[in-house]
Amino acid sequence: MNADKVLDAKGLACPMPIVKTRKEMKDMDSGQVLEIQATDKGASADLTAWAKSGGHELLEQQVDGDVLKFWIKKG
Amino acid sequence: MTKKTAIIASNGGLFEAYKVFNIATAAAASDHEVSIFFTFEGLNLIHKEANQQLPMPEGKEHFEEGFKKSNVPAIPELIEMAQDLDVKFIGCQMTMDVMGLEKDAFVDGIEVGGAVTFLDFAQDADVTLTF
Repeated sequence: MNADKVLDAKGLACPMPIVKTRKEMKDMDSGQVLEIQATDKGASADLTAWAKSGGHELLEQQVDGDVLKFWIKKG
Repeated sequence: MTKKTAIIASNGGLFEAYKVFNIATAAAASDHEVSIFFTFEGLNLIHKEANQQLPMPEGKEHFEEGFKKSNVPAIPELIEMAQDLDVKFIGCQMTMDVMGLEKDAFVDGIEVGGAVTFLDFAQDADVTLTF
């Protein structure tokens, strides 16, 4: 899936993946897609909730070995 | 409308520090307006020297390795991040008077106030937590 930007949050523990995602998203335009790569197993539930509460759309998530990948479209 | 999260930090150990600052930064990163009221031992969490060496609960020292392995940020880093995200820190004036501490003993950018300062913020908060 194509992304406008990729955030490497691998190796980071909660709440860092969320804090970094928020920071990246802030500089993006509505409709743009951010790909987030994380290894924190809590990120799956957290990013889903974060996207929902912020009015963003979680387009897709994939597991690639130990890496969790998320594509979020800015609302 | 912006959601508000109000937190009272009244304990001064390393575990409490993580509970307080993880929730605070996560809330702020979810665009909540966040205030933390630091009272009694909770003031340790924002004391310039004390926050660098917060104690583990007795008998739980073996978790230190887990903290390193999990790549959890250090407390001063979390404080900086929280402040970058505009989390407001309020130091309890009464506790500071009792303990003989001045504002300059604490990390920069804190406000000092009484219980009412916090209550005024918390009265219409969406999330209220005590640690």
